[in-house]
Amino acid sequence: MRYERQLLIPQIGQSGQEKLKKSKVTVIGVGGLGSPVLTYLVSAGVGRIQIVDCDVVSESNLNRQFLHHTVDIGRAKVLSAQEKLASLNPEVKVSTVNQRLNPDNVKEYISGSDVVVDCVDNAETRIMAAAACMELDIPLVEGGVRGFYGYVMDIGKDYPCLSCLGYDTVKQKTPVPVLGVTAGIIGCMQANECIKLLLGIGAPLYGRMLNYDGLSGNWEEVHVKKAADCPIHARAEAGKRGK
Amino acid sequence: MIEVRFFATFREGRDKVSLLEPKDFKTAGDILDHFRIHREEVAILLINGLYSPADTAVKDGDVIALFPPVGGG
Repeated sequence: MRYERQLLIPQIGQSGQEKLKKSKVTVIGVGGLGSPVLTYLVSAGVGRIQIVDCDVVSESNLNRQFLHHTVDIGRAKVLSAQEKLASLNPEVKVSTVNQRLNPDNVKEYISGSDVVVDCVDNAETRIMAAAACMELDIPLVEGGVRGFYGYVMDIGKDYPCLSCLGYDTVKQKTPVPVLGVTAGIIGCMQANECIKLLLGIGAPLYGRMLNYDGLSGNWEEVHVKKAADCPIHARAEAGKRGK
Repeated sequence: MIEVRFFATFREGRDKVSLLEPKDFKTAGDILDHFRIHREEVAILLINGLYSPADTAVKDGDVIALFPPVGGG
């Protein structure tokens, strides 16, 4: 039986498995983080998963984006990923959005999700996704990588977001250096956070930025605070009042 | 003392944590200059867990955390 081993986990069991089956998760970005996130959410039996990415597979993706194979070069990432995920677990409904998120469509696409997982490669989309999630009151699992390092953190309307941390002022020079296994480790942590949030178990990483150092082999937690003048929190509040 | 915690690539070629004499630094920017870190290299600068611009004053007991930008893999 597919889920036999996780049904044995007291915090999951039959009722948790049913909860996962009834859940919907949106994963933004099907790259180095998105590959492990999607693989483990699909393996775990999350019922509906929507994947959003407008990119096509290139050869330089293949050191870390393991849902895409050499034969997929040139194909849309969402289609390449959907094919592998359907083969892994046909019980999961995987839908695709082959578009770039923008301020006009982001809320439409993430609406109805129980959790959103941010696996994108640019600060602009990170901030946009965080703003939309907060406005719709959807928990967001945030993750990022650089070289041998990475972090994971959960974001919610009552907790600090990337804008609270000043991340919206970042001038990111691309491409960011990434070791495939680092993205794998952080993506696995994001999948773990997502499952915790869906099941309402454990201690989510709200206000706790968990940092990974692959060279020293350490995890370090940094407690972060919500900014009083955060524009995203203000926009989310204004959006709710406007409804 | 002021504690400076470096994260990700900022810790390469440095200790992970440095302790500084408060009398030698007025602002967080002075600390960045001390470590030869350009302002635009810093994605997140926290003082005691709170986002702070580089011109924020620093004092004894502060814990500063510095992060570079990240990608999505």
